[in-house]
Amino acid sequence: MRRLFRLLILLGLMLVPVATWAQAAPSAGPQRTERIEAELVAMSRWAAPGSTAVVAIRQNIEPGWHTYWRNPGDSGGPTTLVWTLPQGVSAGDIVWPLPDRQRLQQLVNYGYEGVVYLPVPIEVPADARPGTVLPLLVKAQFLVCSAEMCVPDDLTLTLDLPVREGAAPLDPAHGAAIARVLEQAPRPAGITAHVSLENGVLTLTATGGPLAGRDPGPSYFFPFESGVIDHAAAQTGSWGPQGLTLALAAGGKMNTNGLSGPIGGVLVTENGAWEIRAEPGAALPGATGSGDVTTRPEHTAPVATEPAGWSAFAKAALFALLGGLILNLMPCVFPILAMKAAALTASAHNPRHAGRDGLAFLAGVLTTFLILAGVLLGLRAAGEAVGWGFQLQSPPVIAGLALLMLAVALNLSGVFHVGGGLQAAGSGPLARLPGGVGAFFTGALAVVVAAPCTAPFMAFALGAALVMPWPMALVVFLMLGLGLALPFVLVSLSPALLAKLPRPGAWMERLKGLLAFPMYGTALWLGWVFSRQAGADALGLLFAAGLLLALGLWLVGTGQTERGLGRRGVVHLTAGAVVLVLAGAGVFMAAQAPDSPATGVPTRAEGSGPPSAPWSQAAIDTALAEGRPVLVNFTADWCVTCKINEQTSLTSPEVAREMERTNAVYLVADWTRRDDAITAELQRRGRSGVPLYLLYLPGQAEPRVLPQLLTAGVIVDALKDARP
Amino acid sequence: MTRLITVALAALTLAACQQQAAAPQKAETPAPTPVAAAAPGAMPMAGQMAPAFTLVDAEGVQRSLADFRGKVVVLEWTNEGCPYVKKHYTGAMQALQREAAEDGVVWLSIISSSPGTQGYVEGDSARAWKTRTNAGSTHLLLDPTGQVGKLFGAKTTPDMRIIDAEGRLVYVGGIDDKPTPRVEDLQGATNFVRAALDDVQSERPVRTAFATPYGCAIKYPETVGT
Repeated sequence: MRRLFRLLILLGLMLVPVATWAQAAPSAGPQRTERIEAELVAMSRWAAPGSTAVVAIRQNIEPGWHTYWRNPGDSGGPTTLVWTLPQGVSAGDIVWPLPDRQRLQQLVNYGYEGVVYLPVPIEVPADARPGTVLPLLVKAQFLVCSAEMCVPDDLTLTLDLPVREGAAPLDPAHGAAIARVLEQAPRPAGITAHVSLENGVLTLTATGGPLAGRDPGPSYFFPFESGVIDHAAAQTGSWGPQGLTLALAAGGKMNTNGLSGPIGGVLVTENGAWEIRAEPGAALPGATGSGDVTTRPEHTAPVATEPAGWSAFAKAALFALLGGLILNLMPCVFPILAMKAAALTASAHNPRHAGRDGLAFLAGVLTTFLILAGVLLGLRAAGEAVGWGFQLQSPPVIAGLALLMLAVALNLSGVFHVGGGLQAAGSGPLARLPGGVGAFFTGALAVVVAAPCTAPFMAFALGAALVMPWPMALVVFLMLGLGLALPFVLVSLSPALLAKLPRPGAWMERLKGLLAFPMYGTALWLGWVFSRQAGADALGLLFAAGLLLALGLWLVGTGQTERGLGRRGVVHLTAGAVVLVLAGAGVFMAAQAPDSPATGVPTRAEGSGPPSAPWSQAAIDTALAEGRPVLVNFTADWCVTCKINEQTSLTSPEVAREMERTNAVYLVADWTRRDDAITAELQRRGRSGVPLYLLYLPGQAEPRVLPQLLTAGVIVDALKDARP
Repeated sequence: MTRLITVALAALTLAACQQQAAAPQKAETPAPTPVAAAAPGAMPMAGQMAPAFTLVDAEGVQRSLADFRGKVVVLEWTNEGCPYVKKHYTGAMQALQREAAEDGVVWLSIISSSPGTQGYVEGDSARAWKTRTNAGSTHLLLDPTGQVGKLFGAKTTPDMRIIDAEGRLVYVGGIDDKPTPRVEDLQGATNFVRAALDDVQSERPVRTAFATPYGCAIKYPETVGT
């Protein structure tokens, strides 16, 4: 009690400076009126010089009120931003998330309710000095309306964006939400669209890209300008193998002035929302005949505006628990658990021991999961673009795991024993350490060994966990651990179940021997993964390390047997230790191999985009001379925008297909480390930093600069021009 | 026993998969009936005859559009609580109204706000409107049922119509090309109503016959409660 009291006082003391600090910054942070709270927030914790940082206007709109999209619809007005920025810093346009349709009797507005992020790219000059802050100031002009009235609310928002070198991690408060809005915001996707006007009806046909070959479901077209369509009218049509056709009631501008130019807007279907630009022209073929398209219901949940809510959290936690349970059946984990269960049968007659072992096992599992989760979250906070399965992207970890699997398999085969050797020579398998310690480490081992199995099965829960605030994420990880440990703990805590377990005997040894084989299999699989990442030479080293490991463990095992027979066995043990050290050195070298100069080999994990070569002017000239288009990606590992672009567009199958069709060359200029040639090229293009995407077409002197927020469609469209 | 656990876990796996598959659908299902077809009828555009109407003015006198045949008539939907209207009533709108009056144009300001909503006026409040707003309108017409507003397809305040001496619509839409509620944006804006009136006075065809109206939604009777 007294200790608790002291702890509380200590906590209180720690909070004091925080509170004073918070008061000292009056203008930053959220500003509010009765109707809306707004705040300027950053996606990343800091901005690297020469990069594009993303900030966002976060609106928290009171219930009953709304703000507007770029085209407000029948009434209202869009949110506008007036920036005051330091020298050299510039702000781009708002990346508008998909709006809601808000019906006010016969009027329809396009806008937002609740919590909305409006992301804005901010260009940070390359000469921004690390250690300084960029004071950003924006006058955000909101028109906030309810059914009864409209109020212009102007709020001045500020944000001090720190400048630092290196990978900027996502801002813990808003980073994940902004990144999601950015990823989901409608962007061009290689859709071709035509529009024609007849008798007050605009016929919009859109084909290709993501529209081809799918039933679009209920759809809707949001024009960028008002007056183009009657916002309140239903939009119906049909779809075909290539895309869809929508009949739109023309708006006042169309009816008065006619159709004089292209119509831009956002097309929403069941499968996604994309930016399109409809050129005046006859209906495109393949956009009717397969079925009807109905108007998308109003008030479809605003995409991407909801931060990680409690329901998502609960769902992720539940899936984590289920996933943990399923893990018990995985080939990597099952043998260990089976072994442990077998050990349990030995103590089955003593429920107290069994219960203690069960809880120790649980503790082991949970502790290990916490450590693993901590490492993951820590890496993420440090700016590594990691997802779950990150451990599998790293060749050293794969190599280590492969050897661990081999060791476990050898243990199961009876080549050597762990731990028990000293006290109960020979008789103790892995789990026979004194007290609960053995059970604890079995739990830990189960988790470590389970790691390779988790990635595919836990994707949902862990994916969700990674975008949550860290305490929630930790809970999700713990649920996973709980699920993994649950069956075993339940059995060990229930005397009735314990009594049903078969008596220990020779069958246990045979079972263990059999269970060794899934482990050998896992080791081989990991070896294969490793070879894909690090190449054949490194695999050779890994094999050598494996051989040495087996030899070493065999020597150790022999030593243990010697001791079990009452001899000293020092020679064996020493030799074993030496060989094991050699094995360690081998795996270390194998893991280092991928960092050796042989980086021309595509070392990236499979599916990470078109094969690339390093950027150089010579490479561009060569390709152009051969008549091939060249796509250059100026990127850096610490550039979050670059990574988002690479994940969402550069690696998409559409882009790969189009690159193949046009025989394009993909060059990567990696600016992760200082590179003066790249810096010079960036400056030549009037850029202070990455990302920068250049598309060189044969026969054209100057490359085309693609937008900084890329989509598959943008690249595909640009490449199409290169088609013969 | 083991078999039982296996079966249970397999069932859980299945359940997990199904739940995952069902999740995206769930977001879509609460589909409210799509778009009640409350289309306000085709909005009369420039070139068409203006629909006839009769409304009571602030003084309680009945005014029909037909009363003003032979004169150019401006219709202006207004709502004094609306920030967009306030922007124009900082002097610009009143000046335009007086210019028009000097040219013999009839200016009818119309309030289509339903009772109890923003902008609604009656009785003394209606009679005092012109003084209160310093308006130069010919009459203030009250349209609490919203019928005349809907007849003309008026959507926002302000929303403007110009009807020529023959009763034909020559201008439909927004008042200018700066759709903001900010007074400073009056500066440099093109006022389409002034331009159209000039065209009409000079017996030229109206160059800009439509501009997208902008502003606050008109508070029609059924509007409340969204």
